[in-house]
Amino acid sequence: MLAEHSPSGLKIACGGKLVAAGEGSETLGRRLSVLFAMIALIAVLFWAGVHNLRHRRQLSESNRVTLIPAAPADDNAGPPDAEGSELRGKAAPAFTLTDIAGKKVSLGDFKGHPVVVNFWATWCGPCKLEMPWFQEFSQKYKPQGLEVLGLSQDDGASPKDVSDAAKKIGVTYPILMPDEKVAKKYGGVDYLPETFYVARDGKVVEVTAGAPSKDQMEALIEKTIAAGGA
Amino acid sequence: MTGRELGSEISNQKIWRGRIAALCIGFVALSAAAQIQLGSLDHATQAKKQHVELLTDSLELAANKPQDVELRFRVEPGFHINSHTPKDELLIPTDLRLNAGSLRIANERYPAGSNFHLAIGSGEDLDVYQGEFRVMLRVEAPKGASTLTGALRYQACDNASCFPAKLLPVEIAVNAR
Repeated sequence: MLAEHSPSGLKIACGGKLVAAGEGSETLGRRLSVLFAMIALIAVLFWAGVHNLRHRRQLSESNRVTLIPAAPADDNAGPPDAEGSELRGKAAPAFTLTDIAGKKVSLGDFKGHPVVVNFWATWCGPCKLEMPWFQEFSQKYKPQGLEVLGLSQDDGASPKDVSDAAKKIGVTYPILMPDEKVAKKYGGVDYLPETFYVARDGKVVEVTAGAPSKDQMEALIEKTIAAGGA
Repeated sequence: MTGRELGSEISNQKIWRGRIAALCIGFVALSAAAQIQLGSLDHATQAKKQHVELLTDSLELAANKPQDVELRFRVEPGFHINSHTPKDELLIPTDLRLNAGSLRIANERYPAGSNFHLAIGSGEDLDVYQGEFRVMLRVEAPKGASTLTGALRYQACDNASCFPAKLLPVEIAVNAR
């Protein structure tokens, strides 16, 4: 340790650094200033983050209205984000439901098949307009093993009401009666239509909320057939 | 300054550095926790969110005299709700359900809907309310203050997806003189 004199007082070299002994309180004051400045900066960043998050969610909510049908020509556009989107890449939640004829149907019955799990309701206009496409594709891709399941979300409706609506829409694939527990497993299904594309290995390949264009739907079906092995 | 004082000063500096680092970590953790919390609240809020608001909050009436009043509602921009008389029987009509209480409500008159073309596939023409709409009531109220309560049942959609039917609470202060 070496000592030397300086105009501001005695400085002592310690570990290669010169430390001014008379600067202790000054250093403390400086550190406190830095601390408060950092707190203020973090508070501002935090507030900006919260504000930005809210703004993005509002923007996303309003954009969702136009994202899907406004760009039907852009078939490469990704599907809109769904509340069950966190299921992408994960195993599709298992379920057993009753179809409109009273027969039990499980997702597990279709093991090894690509499956489209479509949540819909009789009161949902966009659902009824996209369902004939599912019907068409269920026939077109039948040789590849495609199965389509329509999970009605008509709480309180009778199987006959749902069956009549399905006939009117013109679909013949299995229509299953609602169970709130199943909807919860699939992220709540707070709006319709919401569709989960499940590959042969039982994993969710894609999730869409809102009706996509017909081309988008077919692309997703082809992606689902190609995924999860032959 | 003695060597001991210098050692103490250096030790103090280390303590302060530690405190600052701990505070920074604390703030970052707090920010992350708050973001997560806000995110989950936002999700829950979205699920329960109303797409129609009641614009009328009070009515001034002449006591004991039947008169027409209007209840004003507004549909959120970008959304539509079915009119009181939708074209398809499967669609859920907009319907006002009132508890008259001390009031006498003679009738409810709903506005005509406007045409909305749902441009998906073959498309579908719907009869809907968009923006502001008014429901007319024929009301007779006793003298004094009372409250008109009830709910508006509606089912909202945008041009690609739909939300389940919801009930918008209606509570309107009525003052009859």
